[in-house]
Order: sequence, then C-alpha cells, then structure tokens
Amino acid sequence: MASVRLLSLTLFGFLVGLATSAQLSVGVQSSQLLPNPSTLPPSTHAVLLGPPGIRYDVPLRRDNTFHFPDLAEASYLLTVHCRDHFFAPLRVDVTKSEVDPSQHTLTAWQTFRGNEWEHKGAVYGSAQESLTIQIPSGGAKDFYQARGGFSLMGFVKSPMILLSLGAVVMIFGMPYMMDNMDEETKKEFQELQRKQPLTGEEGAATQLQNFDLAGWMAGKSSGSSTPNTGGGGAKRR
Amino acid sequence: MLARLLILAVSSLLLRPALAVFADEAWNIDYHYALLGEPQQDTTFFHQPYAGSRASLVYTLSNKGALGAVNPRDGSLIWRQLLASNGSTSTSTFLRAGENADVLFSGIASQAAAWSAGDGRLVWEVNVAGDVKDVEILELSDGSATASGSKDALVLSGSDSHALVQRLDGATGTVKWQHNLESGDIPYQVSASTTQVFAILLHKTMLGYYKIKVLSLDPVTGHKTDEYTLSSENELTSTDGIIAVGANSASPIIAWTDATHSVLKVNIIGTKQIASFNIEKSGEEAVQQIQIHAPHHSTALAHFLVHFQTATSHWAEVFHIDLKRNKIEKAYDLPKLSGKGAFATSTSDANVYFTRVTDGEVIALSSASHGVLGRWPIAGFGVASVPGEAIEPIRAVSELSIKGDLVSAIRTAVLLSTGDWILLREGTSVWHRPEGLAGTFSAAFSVPAPVESFVEKLEKEASINPVQAYILRIKRHIEDLQHLPAVIVTLPQRFISGFLGTSADGDIGSDSFGFHKIIACATEGGRLIALDAGAPDRILWNRKIGNVALTESALQSPALGVFSLAGTPGIGPQYFNASSGAVLPGLPSTSLAKEAADSDISQGIQFTLENGGLQAYDTNARQSALWSFAPMPNERIIGLVSRPVNDPVASIGKVLGDRRVLYKYLNPNLALLTTADDKAKSVNLYLLDTISGSIMHSSSHQGINLDDPISSTMSENWFAYSFTSDASPLAPKGHYLVVGEMFESLVPNDRGPLSATTNFSTLDLNPQPFTLVHSYQIPESLSHLTVTQTRQGITSRALLAVLADSHAIISIPYMALDPRRPVDRDATTDEQMEGLFRYAPVLEFDPKWYLNHRREVAGIKHVLTTPALIESTSIVFAYGLDVFGTRLSPSFSFDILGKDFNKFQMLATVAALAVATVGVAPLVMRKQINMRWQFT
Repeated sequence: MASVRLLSLTLFGFLVGLATSAQLSVGVQSSQLLPNPSTLPPSTHAVLLGPPGIRYDVPLRRDNTFHFPDLAEASYLLTVHCRDHFFAPLRVDVTKSEVDPSQHTLTAWQTFRGNEWEHKGAVYGSAQESLTIQIPSGGAKDFYQARGGFSLMGFVKSPMILLSLGAVVMIFGMPYMMDNMDEETKKEFQELQRKQPLTGEEGAATQLQNFDLAGWMAGKSSGSSTPNTGGGGAKRR
Repeated sequence: MLARLLILAVSSLLLRPALAVFADEAWNIDYHYALLGEPQQDTTFFHQPYAGSRASLVYTLSNKGALGAVNPRDGSLIWRQLLASNGSTSTSTFLRAGENADVLFSGIASQAAAWSAGDGRLVWEVNVAGDVKDVEILELSDGSATASGSKDALVLSGSDSHALVQRLDGATGTVKWQHNLESGDIPYQVSASTTQVFAILLHKTMLGYYKIKVLSLDPVTGHKTDEYTLSSENELTSTDGIIAVGANSASPIIAWTDATHSVLKVNIIGTKQIASFNIEKSGEEAVQQIQIHAPHHSTALAHFLVHFQTATSHWAEVFHIDLKRNKIEKAYDLPKLSGKGAFATSTSDANVYFTRVTDGEVIALSSASHGVLGRWPIAGFGVASVPGEAIEPIRAVSELSIKGDLVSAIRTAVLLSTGDWILLREGTSVWHRPEGLAGTFSAAFSVPAPVESFVEKLEKEASINPVQAYILRIKRHIEDLQHLPAVIVTLPQRFISGFLGTSADGDIGSDSFGFHKIIACATEGGRLIALDAGAPDRILWNRKIGNVALTESALQSPALGVFSLAGTPGIGPQYFNASSGAVLPGLPSTSLAKEAADSDISQGIQFTLENGGLQAYDTNARQSALWSFAPMPNERIIGLVSRPVNDPVASIGKVLGDRRVLYKYLNPNLALLTTADDKAKSVNLYLLDTISGSIMHSSSHQGINLDDPISSTMSENWFAYSFTSDASPLAPKGHYLVVGEMFESLVPNDRGPLSATTNFSTLDLNPQPFTLVHSYQIPESLSHLTVTQTRQGITSRALLAVLADSHAIISIPYMALDPRRPVDRDATTDEQMEGLFRYAPVLEFDPKWYLNHRREVAGIKHVLTTPALIESTSIVFAYGLDVFGTRLSPSFSFDILGKDFNKFQMLATVAALAVATVGVAPLVMRKQINMRWQFT
C-alpha cells in the first residue's frame, strides 16, 4: 500500500538508514480467538507510527504477515487495523546497536493506551537488524446489539406471571382438592381457614366485606353487629 | 493484555448501552456502494482468479487508484485494495495478469506490487526510485520459472533522466536483473515478445520533437542486445501522439499518429520498417481519438483493431500482422456508426475476437474475417439519466465463450457516459455499479418536490386572511379527494404490509417520517447524481453538469426541492429541480421572497479566509475589515469550523442530578480555527466570537504529527477536535480526541454576568465562557468529525467520526465524551443520575458504535447529517470514494415504532387477553355467587 509520505520516507531512509536496513516482520498467530488468520480480510493493515513525518503502512500478506522492509531509527507505535478482530498496540524501538554501531537493534513491547510511553509491557521480541514477532488476536469485534426480543420462557419466568399462574392454579385446583379431601381433613382445613387473620371468620377482610354500612350509619355500635354466620348473606338478599 | 482489552470492552458496554447498531436494522436501514472509481481501458480485464477456475472475475485498477475484483454475476465487490492513499492518481497506473496466473501485478506511483488474485492479499511489494513507468509480464519459460508457475514481472521505472528496467521474481519480488538506462531519454514503456524484452524510450530532439528509441534486452541476463531509433519526429510533437505499445502479443507493435490524426504509423517492435496508413477523413469531422485494441496473450493471433472516434461517429479497422514477412496488412473495415462506441478484445485459444458496443447493440466479430458472429440489441442500459440525454458507451471489456462457430455466451462490462459501470449479458443489462459516485466532491440534501409544494400551500394558508385560507383549504381537500380511489386501491396492500411490518414507510410522495430526502452528489466526472435516502438502491436521476468549482460546498439546497450548484468564478449558480433533475431558470419566486425576508437583517457579518488569515466584513460595507485574525508567524490555518447553520438547541441549560441547572454558553457566532506550525510541530486552536473577533478559548498542543488528519467540529455549546501526537513526558504517542464544553458559569442556577440580560451583544458585553475540557486517547486517527442533527435538538447528540484506517464511521455518544465526567473519583449519585461516570483517559471504540458494522466504508472524505421529520432520527450520508448512508437515533427511536415492535405479538396478546376474559368470566361469576350462597 502506498505510504502517505513516500517522499519524506525515502529521504529519511536515505539519511538515516544508509548503512543497513532494519526489518520488522509481524506475523498473526492463530489462536483460540482466531483459529485461521487466513480468514482475515485483505484490507487488514498495520501502521507503524514514528515521530512526526514518519509513518509506514503495509497490508497483510498472503502468508499472514506484515513486512516492514526498511525502518528508520525511531520509537514506533504499531497498530493493526482489522475489520473483524482487535489487536493490541505495540511499541517498536529501532536503535543503534550497542555492540556494532552500523547495526540496528529492534525491540517490540506491548504498550498501553492512556499510560506513559515509557510504561512498557511484556517484550515480544528483540533482535539485530531483522525482527520477527507474532501477535495474537485480542478478540473478535461484535458489531451488533441484540434486541431484548420476546421469549416464552423469559415471559413465564417473570414474577408477575408466576404469581398469576399460582392464582390460576388456586382458582381451578382448590375446589378439586376440596372435593378429594376426606371429611376429617376438610373440616380441619375449613377450621384453619376460618381462623386465618385476614380471610378467616373473624378476619379483617371478611369483616370489611361484610361491613354493615346501613347499620353503621344508623348508629349501631360495631360490637353489636350481627354475627356473620349466615347474616351477611341474608342481609344482602 | 487480553484481559485488559476485555475489561475495557466490557466496561464500555456496561456504561453505555445506548446508541448501537441493532442486528435487525443493520443491512436494512443503511446502504453502501462499495466503489472503485471509473475503470480504465488498459487496467481492466476478465481474468480467472486461479488456473483452472471455472468462473472469472473482472479486475480493475481505477482512476481513483483502487484495485479490486468484481463478481461478474452480480456486480458485488470481492476484494479491494486502495493503492493511492489520497484517492487520486497523478501518474499512470498499470495492472497486468499473466495467463493462468493467480497473481496480479500492479504499478502505481513508486510502488510495484503483486496481489493474490483470489483474495486480494499482498504477495510482495517493491518500492522503486522515481515513478513506475510500466509493468509487464514476462511470458517466457526459461527454466527459471518457479514451481508455483508464477511468471516474472518486468518493471520500468525512473524519472525523466534516469531509468531502470528490472526483472522481478513473480513469487518473491526479488530482483533477478536490472538494466540501467543512462541515456537521458524519457522512459516510456516496456514490452516483451517471446524471445526479447524491449524498452521503449523517447528521445527529445533539439526542436522539441520525439524520436522513439527501442532497446532490446536479453530476457535472461538483462544485457542489451540491440538499439535503434525510429524516425517519428515528423509526427510526434508530444507523447500524446503515441497510441499504443502492444505488449505480450506474438508480435508487439508500437503505433503513433500526428497531431491532426491524419496518418497512422505502425512499427513491429524489433523491426525497423514503419507501416504508414492514411486515416480517411470522415466528412468535415476530425478524428478526435484513436485507440488500438490488441490481444494480450503471446499465443494469440497477431491481429489488432484500430478504433477511430469523431464527435458524432466511430468506426474501426482490423489489421493483421504477417509474422513471417513482418508486414502489417489491413484485413477489413467495420462500418461507421453514429454516436460513440466501445471495442473490446477477447481471446479463446489462439483466436481473437472483437466486441463492439454501441448505444443500441452488442456485436461480436472474429478477427479473422468480417462476418458478424453474433448481434444482440440492447433494450436499455438500465441506468438513470435525465430525459433527452443519450447514454453512450465509453470503454468495454468482454469475455466470450465459443462453441463451434457460434458465440454461446458473451459478457461485456461497459463504462457508460453516465459514470455507471454495467455488465451486459448478451444484450441485457445484468447489474450496474454507479462508479461515478466515487468522485463525489460535494453533496447536499433536499426534500422532494411534492413535500415542498405542500409546505408552500400550508405557508400560503397561514399568511392570508382566515376566510380565504378556509376556501383554499377546502379547495385543497377537494383536490386531495381525487387521489382517494388510488389510495383505496392500495389500502389492503398497505394494511398487509403494515401488519407484517415489511415496510416502515411508503414511497417518496407519502413520506411521513421524512426519511426520503433527496441527496445530490456532484462528481468530478461532471455529473450530478441524485439518490433517495429512503430507497437508496436506485438512483433517481443522473445528469451532466458543466464546469463547476470543485469545492466541498459547491452544491447547496437554497430552497425546498431545489439544488444549486456554484459555477466557476464569473458564472452564476445553476439550479436544478430535486425530484426530476430538470434545470430551473432560477430560484422559484416564492423562495426568492423568503430569502429576501430572511436576509432582511440590517447588518450582517461575513468572515472569510483571506491572505492566510481570517477577515470579517460588514455585509453592508465591504470596504474595510471589521476585524481580522492573523495567525502567528510560521503558522498556517488548517481548519475552520463554525456551528451548523441549522443547530436547534432544546434547552439552554443542563439539568443536574439535584434539579439545579448549569447554563450553557450558547453563542450562535462561534468558530473554531485550527492553525499549525510546521517547524515547531505544534497545533493551536482558537475559539473565536465571529462578531467581535475576540478569542473565547484557545489551546496549544506540541509534538503533533501534522501529516495525520487534524479534524474539528462544533455544535451547541461544545467543540471537539482530534490529532495525533508524538510521545512526550506529558502524553504517550498516539491519537487524541479533545472535547470542550462551554458554560455561562460553573455555579449551578447562576448565569454569571449574563443573569440580568435577556439579549446581549458580544460587542458590548463579552463575558468569557467557562470551558471544561477533557482529552481522551483513542485507538486511531479521526479524519473527519461531524455531529448528528435532529429537528428540534431534543435528542442527545452523537459525534460522528470517520476512521480512515479502519474504513469505518463511528458515532460516539456525547455521554461518553462529556467533559463533566468526574476525574479521579467515582461519580456521585447525583452525577450518575445525569449519566456521568468516572473519567478514563482512554476511549476505546466499541464495535457497536460502528455505523457501517461489517461493511468496509473506504475513502470517506465527508459526512453530512440532516434531520428527519421525526425528532429521534438523524439522516447520515457519507461520501468520498464509497457512498454510505444510514439513519441514526442517538436516543433510540422514541417516537417511531422500531423493528423491535412486533405488531403480530401485540395483536396476539390482545386476542389472548380477550379469550381469557371471556373464558374466565363465567368462572368468576360462579365463584362470586357461590361465595354468597354456599355456607359450609
């Protein structure tokens, strides 16, 4: 891919890298997240961003590598742009070799966005003149937001529906159960129901339901209200 | 690292579920034309992606420097590589494919490269000194061919004085030999026969004429074997006179003509004889163009076709080369036909076939004799134009299959004068790609004419007295009644489609949501092309335009239903009807009146970039500048943005979590100016009040990579800009996005110095806004920024950014950028209620923000937004190389039933409830009665 700044690049290359040329080769590793790097789209490309004016941009090759043939001495940020996968940014330094000044040392580290440039992570590799490193995928990109669509299980599982289902079971199931009970248990059960504070004989709800409005308006004291057994039904007739 | 990425992704997900591309909306509401640009004659061909492949693809290297493969079945793009990063090609481009090879060779600017034909991956690339002047394939098996069968490439490169021929290994790109051409002649082309390599140079004589110099080289060693000069100085006054240098044919030829196109000279390369043919005069008309079509295979017959084109007609002559006697003979003529025509060459084994495409017919011929093999009338090209315009074929490539003596199938890819690239199967148009849109330099939105006339009527009713208005309204309703039968007929259909949810909105006439905006694109190819944003799969109209200024703001919509196109300086604007593309004599009178009313402001201020600075003038008195802004010495202005003209603000304050209000600094006359200092590598930003010229806010950034895009935008009371910075003690190397928001005061419920005033003038009282700024490090550079627009500005805004490196457009919700995000502490409950969360210096781009999702939107230069009729939605249109558009609801579709609303489910629920009610009613009744009557 034609680099944006070919002229400045070539010039810089002539000025700095006359002696030898530093080469970087970055391979895409196959991993669990990316079993086959050959499935990456051809638009996948890597950018080495150097100091102002230096930038190399190469596309992914047929053998799943990015090859930078001639790097000037500088500290670079390596970014891989891919449609389908994330790749972590790397820092690549090309320096004069301490052993032989005509040679270059290339070192690649992991780097972290939002951290100081000197804050480096794991070393990916270091070599004289020609460095080959492997980078793994950082995960596939998921572009789509799924809608919280309608699902029957989710609908049934909601507490409101569970409660109302319980009520339905009571409505239809109770009479049947009552019929099937033997006389003893039935009596016991009814006794129990009668004693319940809310719905039983003396329960608040029952009393409220059977409230004798006319009597109350007529000034009857609540204590002398007619006993409920039978009275409530008769009154309403 | 992985964990870190995941955490970031997850946190961004948890924090901002808003604004995402929904799976059911993707591919439906968005549209995308993945374009290449106009295919060129020499760099377009049918080719099998690998040896033995049954189907072939159409490969092209376009005028935009895009290399791509198109499926001839449906016109879909298989792969694409952008070779010219700035989207234009200044030098010639080359694309070659060897017979049965799975590799394509390209040459552009200073790069020669090989690409895998099947998937578009790079095989190798070589950078040369100077420009690539020619790339050719060496069809030669000298035993050095690699096992993969890839053929070697010949590359001619160099500047005008120093040239180089290289033979590059087809599989690896390594140089096998190179030959320096130190003669000082202009390198022109390289050509190969089966036994020799020829370098063709142009020698400029003292008088300015050109002589053609041919060097023959040994293909194995690269040594020079012969050199001779052809006396072409009588004809060649410029390099334009050379028509063709045949390559890779059994007998390559070089042909040239004189400036008046009166004689055609042809030389078989390797011989010194020059055959001369007089070009017949076609009546009064001069021949404008001569093209040679020759086969590109060394095994094919040495026949070629010369195509002559005048302004109104075209014809062709077919020549045969006698290889034994090295003689060129004319074989037959193809009759003269009116209009433009295109010719294509195709080969089948050794036979050569020519395809002639005219505006009404496809004709297939054999090179051997003039008998027509097949003739298919073209019913129509199937592309949009305007009435009265003749659509003409410009260039074509073709593929034939021959059974016996008959053509069993013929496919022709034709570039039309409308800028469309179509495929004709026999004579029927199968697909078309609007490649003309790849050269869009300006675009604008407008509403369709029916909507516009309706708006006009309503406005008229509002402006006259009630009685007349009532009469008008009755009349309008009676007129509407005429449409009733038609409406009734379509009613069942509409009901069914509405019930099934198959169509959310109708056609362009009944556009209840305002999605059917008309988008016009002015292209470099001299066309004006209109699309419907609501039904983007068809082009509404496509018309020719004259000379226009190639500026980004050339195309405007000054009135409803009208486009105006700014002319070259000295020529007034042209007006077009948005619905039909018809030329209007001028602006409609009603809109003129409106414009006059709008401009009825006693005083206005106009600011322009002049003399490297910013100058502001009084519109009434343009003699002297009111104020001027001159950047510092060494600085140049690289960007100027102002608030959008149509930028409604729903609320003048921001309601805090505790119900108090922070007042926004809402000044309509703000502009953000960006300047760059090339020496100091710094960028300065100035926020100017354009009335008084005072600086409201400024910031400076050092160590900036000025070659990377620096983009900025403004809306409401905030601005955003992005840049790429080198590593410094303060900041790491990378890309940054800075967002600033301005308030009248940072004390809630306090308007600061403006508290007592309802109106204020920045000339009298000019309080500085309180600006909060946050900067974020982002994964990649943003080449263009813009903001969504909605009708009333109630919907929250989203920042739209073009990611040039990822070929994407993303919408970043403002909430994620809010400069009020708390730093170094978690958000308080009140702040959480506002949607604020803790500031993080890194802003990772969530893939769900990608408006283009899995599509690759390449080469986008500009993004336009416009409001729809409904408040929730903003219509987005992006152009550059590709054309992309979508609808965006930054606060979700709160005023329209989206795809998630299931009408069937709703009706089913209602029905179920009804059934349940009816079914349960007797039970409840019985229970109630039993309660009263059963005593146990």
